[in-house]
Amino acid sequence: MDTVLEATDLTKHYEDFSLRGASLTVRKGSVSGIFGPNAAGKSTLLRMLAGQTPVPDGTLRVLGQSYADADRDLKNRIGYVPQEPVFYENRTVEWHARFAAPCFARWDGAAFHRLLEDFRVNPLKKVKHLSGGQKKLLSLALAFSHGAELLILDEPTAGLDIVHRRSLLDRLRALANAGDTTVVVASHITDGLDEIAEDITFLHDGRVVLRESADDLATNWKWVIYKDGSIDRAVEERFASVRRQPFGSRGLTGDFPAVREALAPALASGDARLDHASLEDILLSFIKGA
Amino acid sequence: MNPVYRRSTTFYLWSALTYLAIMGRYMITRDWPVFEIIPIFMPIWLVSALTASEDDERYAFLRMLPVPDRDIARAKLVLILGSAAFQWLLMTGAALARMDEGIADPSTLVYLTLVCVFGLLAAAGYQIAIWRYGISTMKPVLIASIIAGIAFAIIHLASLKNVDDWPALSRSAVVEWLGGAPWISNVVLAALALLGFRALMRAGVRVKAASEAHL
Repeated sequence: MDTVLEATDLTKHYEDFSLRGASLTVRKGSVSGIFGPNAAGKSTLLRMLAGQTPVPDGTLRVLGQSYADADRDLKNRIGYVPQEPVFYENRTVEWHARFAAPCFARWDGAAFHRLLEDFRVNPLKKVKHLSGGQKKLLSLALAFSHGAELLILDEPTAGLDIVHRRSLLDRLRALANAGDTTVVVASHITDGLDEIAEDITFLHDGRVVLRESADDLATNWKWVIYKDGSIDRAVEERFASVRRQPFGSRGLTGDFPAVREALAPALASGDARLDHASLEDILLSFIKGA
Repeated sequence: MNPVYRRSTTFYLWSALTYLAIMGRYMITRDWPVFEIIPIFMPIWLVSALTASEDDERYAFLRMLPVPDRDIARAKLVLILGSAAFQWLLMTGAALARMDEGIADPSTLVYLTLVCVFGLLAAAGYQIAIWRYGISTMKPVLIASIIAGIAFAIIHLASLKNVDDWPALSRSAVVEWLGGAPWISNVVLAALALLGFRALMRAGVRVKAASEAHL
């Protein structure tokens, strides 16, 4: 397994917020999703991963190097899209391309203009006249136009309409399938991005509370819908969350293989059944349980 | 040309050209106390160029590009140095040209250098403070400095003309003493200024690399 990014115990303290001991490993050619509620620390973590802010504590290796030793080389190989647009508001889209082009070793102007066309962003417009979604698309076009091996995208679908969001997800999926590009995305919403993420990290209150592959999440996390009294109380107590309903209960388990045997009689008799747990369900269970 | 230089140069070039057009004209055509007052505008012009350039800057965008912070810090500080040197050369040239008329003398040359050293170090210091605290925090300080500088120049000019024995800065004891050997004094002052600027450059590179004021 080629590791593109390895972060260990990343810690950063601000006046009103701390990211505490975040660790993360990203495989080459994968799509990793970092999810969590607002103010969970996703943007702080991504800024550190993308070399936008110094790493005071912990270790970070990106593409086998550290920003302290190889800032220029790494930023040539990384495409970063920040949560908020960071452009010169009084300059045109084209001006930004002309500004960025000589900085990147592998800038592809034709690809940039093709993307602008796909995204329907007018290159002659001043940034201050673009909508929030168009600014996000401009950020994405810049990140996609210099042959980046690693894309670090902070809420890339925020502000995008349904057409562009779908187009972006397809593009990210295609890049990851091609195997040469690795994608790390962060979002507070799981809509869409959870479909393409192969590895999931949950951040809550500045801490990584869960790191699992999407396959393991699907195996381990299940809703158990059961008639009250049909399953052992000890099993019920192991559920991450339980919702009482008029005709029974729904319990969310994060360790289905461990309770499978205990649930077997209820499942066999039809007193209980299983349902898929979405990423949003799992995320909510962590937030509410915290 | 590095795009960081190219964008910021526009502001400093504009500043230098307006200084040349407005203050340069005064230095060539007006009589005493032109060389007492006009140099006071040098730090004002430099800090104005810095304020305009930094107000329009987007460091978060620059940090996304493969341009190391130390290159950005050096580019910005070298532009301040270049701008200060240009204004010093302009004023010194004008003073030398008017020595025969008695409008300027050796002390004037030292006074010009002292003011330019002050302007250079103040602007470099402000630049570093902007990296440390952000332009939104520093902008009121910069604007207050510009206003205070203009007010000082106006009050000083009015007092020189209307108040008997109002002290002229270019006639102060220290300046007169240094003016006894103007070329040696200027070389020493320039060397000290460059040493101070070098120290600020080192500090600036460190502050810029650690800066999160733009986030």
